[in-house]
Parts: sequence; C-alpha cells; structure tokens
Amino acid sequence: MKVLARARWPEAQDRNLPQVPGFVLSSFNPLVAAAADRCLRRRFGDPPVPADVGERTAVIVVSGSGDAVSAEHVARAVDAGARVGPLFFFQSVPNSIAGHLAARWGLAGPVVCLCPTGDPMADGLAEAGLLIEDGDADRALVVLVEQSDVDESSAVLVGEGTPS
Amino acid sequence: MDKVGLAGMAAASALGRGTEAQLAGALAGATAFTPVRRFDVRGHRVKQAATLPDAGSLSDELARAIEDACAAADLSTVDRSGCALMLAVHAHPDAPRKPGGRGLTAATLAAELVTRAGLGAAARVYTSACVSASSAVADAAALISTGRAERIVVAAGYLVESDQFALFDAGRTLATDGAVRPFSTGRSGFLLGDAVAAVVLESLAAIRKRGGVALARVVGWGRAGDAYHAVQPRPDGHGMARAISSALHRAGISAGELGYLNAHGTGTPFSDAAEAAALHRALGPAVRAVPVSSTKATHGHTLEASGLIELVITVLALRSGKLPVNAGFLAEDPACDLNLILAAPRPIHADHALTVNAAFGGANTALVVRTP
Repeated sequence: MKVLARARWPEAQDRNLPQVPGFVLSSFNPLVAAAADRCLRRRFGDPPVPADVGERTAVIVVSGSGDAVSAEHVARAVDAGARVGPLFFFQSVPNSIAGHLAARWGLAGPVVCLCPTGDPMADGLAEAGLLIEDGDADRALVVLVEQSDVDESSAVLVGEGTPS
Repeated sequence: MDKVGLAGMAAASALGRGTEAQLAGALAGATAFTPVRRFDVRGHRVKQAATLPDAGSLSDELARAIEDACAAADLSTVDRSGCALMLAVHAHPDAPRKPGGRGLTAATLAAELVTRAGLGAAARVYTSACVSASSAVADAAALISTGRAERIVVAAGYLVESDQFALFDAGRTLATDGAVRPFSTGRSGFLLGDAVAAVVLESLAAIRKRGGVALARVVGWGRAGDAYHAVQPRPDGHGMARAISSALHRAGISAGELGYLNAHGTGTPFSDAAEAAALHRALGPAVRAVPVSSTKATHGHTLEASGLIELVITVLALRSGKLPVNAGFLAEDPACDLNLILAAPRPIHADHALTVNAAFGGANTALVVRTP
C-alpha cells in the first residue's frame, strides 16, 4: 500500500476555508472537504474519479473530538429549550461529509469514521490497509480532522499504484 | 473464511435485559415505545422512544454488557488480557456539556472500558453512525479470519438522549403515529431506542483450545458505499447490494441458502424502498423465498448500536429456530415487495442468516452468520 497523493488544510497561501453547501456554522465539514478535495485533485484532476476507480475507493474520516462545534451548539440549544435547526440533523455525524465527498467524487467503496485510539494517521492507515487486504476496496482516502485553536485537516490517498 | 466464532454475547434494550429478553420481545413483535420521561420532549413533534427504564450511564451499561459477554464466553482473566476491544458509539456522552469536554472522546470511553473489563487494549473506535457496530464486527472478523487477532470483544451502545432526539425530530425522520412500520404502507419514520450489546468474536481454533463453545459462526461480511448523497440512500440500492454480494461471496453461499434476513428497515418511506431495491438486486429471484423482518419495530432505531443488537437477535433466532415478525405492518407497499414475516414467528429452514445495515453517508454493511 503506497501513498498516492496527500494534502493539507491550510497549506501555504491558504486564507479562507471554502464553505460546503448544506453544512453550516462549524469548520469541521469544510475542513474535511478542503483537504480531501485537494488530495483527490492532485491525483485525478476534476471530479468525479473514473468509475472503475471510484467503485473500489473507500472514504475514512478520523477525528478525536468529531464536530465539537456543532455538538456544543446543539447541546446549548437543547438546554435552552430552543429549536434545533434542521441542517444540524444533516451534519450530526461525520458520515455525512464522507457521503458528500463520496457522491461528489464517485467514491463507492466502504465509508468508515473512526475516533483514534492512538496516532490518528496510524489508525486511519490501519483501517485502509484492512479494507484493502480484506478485498472491499483497492484504495482509500483517509482524512484526519481536529477542531482546535488552529483548525486543520490532512488527507492521504493510499492504494496500489505509482505515487503522484 | 469459516474460522470466526461468536463465543459469547450480551444485550439490553427496551425489550429487557439479557439476550433471552431480546429474542422473546422480537419473536412476539412486542413494541417497546412509550412516552419519553428521560428528558423534556414538550417542544418536539414526536414524544415516544423505546427506553430501558432502569438504564444507567452509557459507560456503566457498556461495562456491564462487556462483562456479561465475557462471562458468557467463559473467558479467563488471561483470556481477557489478550483481548482487544472494538467500540461503536456516537461520541463520549459528556463531551458537549463538560468544561474541557473536547478532551473527552469516544476513545476515552473505550480506554475506560478496557480498564474496567481487564481487556488488553482498545483496538479501534467506530463513529460511523448506524453502521458503526456492523463495521466493527466486519473488521474484527477480517482480523480474526486472517490470524491477525485471536479474540476481539465488539461492544456498542446508544441510550436515547436529548440531543440526538432533538436532531432527528428537527429532521422530521421520527414516526408521527407512535409506531415503526418497516416496509409497510403508512410508515412515517423511525423511533429511537436504547440498546447496549457486546459480543466476543474468536477464532474457532481458540474457542476449541480453551474448551469453549461457539454460539454461531460469522462467515461473511461486506461493506460498500452509495456515492450518492450526504444522508440519503441511493434509491436503486446499488451500494447495499454490493455489500450483500461481498458478504455472500465471503460466506461462499448463494442467496437461496439464506434462511433469514434481518433488515435495516427503519420504517422511513424512501429508505425502506431503497433497501427493498437493494435486496432484489443482490438476492435475485431468491428474494421471493428469503424470510425478512426488521426488528426496529420492536426495539427502535438504536443508531450506533443497531448493527450489534440486530446481530444478537439474528443469532438468537438462528439458534432458536424461530424468526422474528416484522411488527407494525399495516398493508403491502408495492415498492417493498419482500417475503416479510407477518403475524407470527416462522420456523427457519436453513443454517445461514444475513443482517444488513445502512447509514448516513451512503455507508452499507452486511454480515452473514451460520449455526455452529
């Protein structure tokens, strides 16, 4: 299993995180999308990926705290007896942004979201390796994301092939 | 692939505590939905869920399930110490409200459970929504079948709480008539439910070596995505069908050899139709013969725990020789033309059963189990 492409958000010159239609308030989902889109573009150009490639490409999102900003917003609204906006329903789990990416890029392999028990990249790559060796995928896009004082994300595409 | 045994299991849901309560409730088609008293639902459209009246904290309930599953498998202290944990949960339940809560993760919870149960380590923690537990079982089976692990405890839990309830209510996905009606006309959505479950998966050789007994074998598993939408299932069922085909291929059986199919069957109008399309696509003509039910009509939608509570019920059904009914059914929907088990439990006439799950993100899983 080789690293075929990699990307980060932010990289040099990055300023404003691109928003993702349908996802609100929190940087979590835009961070996943920014690193993933950049990584996939470096390998494939514009979306979607070729159908035979996409059919067997997994999407793995790894995050310790998950979308903490959205979860805290919902908790505050619930505690205040306020209405929770329906868009927060759509972004209540990390699968949603994984599915958004999968639809946009035509990635129809397994979708897995993990909370890392150790080094996040090691966890993500271990899952990617397992899915590939087990036969349900040939490649995997692994995206790491954490919301902190400095929001950041990174993505790697792994599988057989020649690195970009 | 026929190397993975299920050596012990434990479960609790609104159907009761213990595995036998799950089977009894599922066979009877007993619906466990009551008005929610755990938190304030006055501002919500829907006010019912299936809750376990004496439920403790998620951590305590998971610890209890893991303990019970390890005891049921008759694992020694040494057996446990070499055993990894795979956990499936939404998140650490205290994270959104505690100061510094972002340091409390699902992995924190897993580490605590490992210590309490005397297990070896937290191997992996799944936060993949409604395929979390089934993904964990698939991965554990893959690791055991290839000799990379001898024994893994998979645990999963969801206890109905205010935040997810508010989100699903806002998303208008909850049933408005107090009942879950999988694959039926008049279905209006799902209702949430409590479930905590744990299973001990172990190589058959290791079970034999320590004088244990396998309750069932996990012989097939598959995972595939829809590549269709952030939260909606692909209407033609292509992703779920590929997950099922992958699981049947690993199991080395044809669709006609399935004696039961425990469906995801949330009772959501478009989701059930997509699942029925997937079953037709994956099973072909055999779809007419394979008995199908969704037990969510009894215990509710238990989100991250769905894959495990439904696996436990599937194994119990296989062992008992009786198949749970598809409760809540009113009348046939042409978009869900399946061989549904209605009215009364049916006897099973085969050794294999399939349980499927789907989740936001177009994630799909399928697990095949067989009698030992």
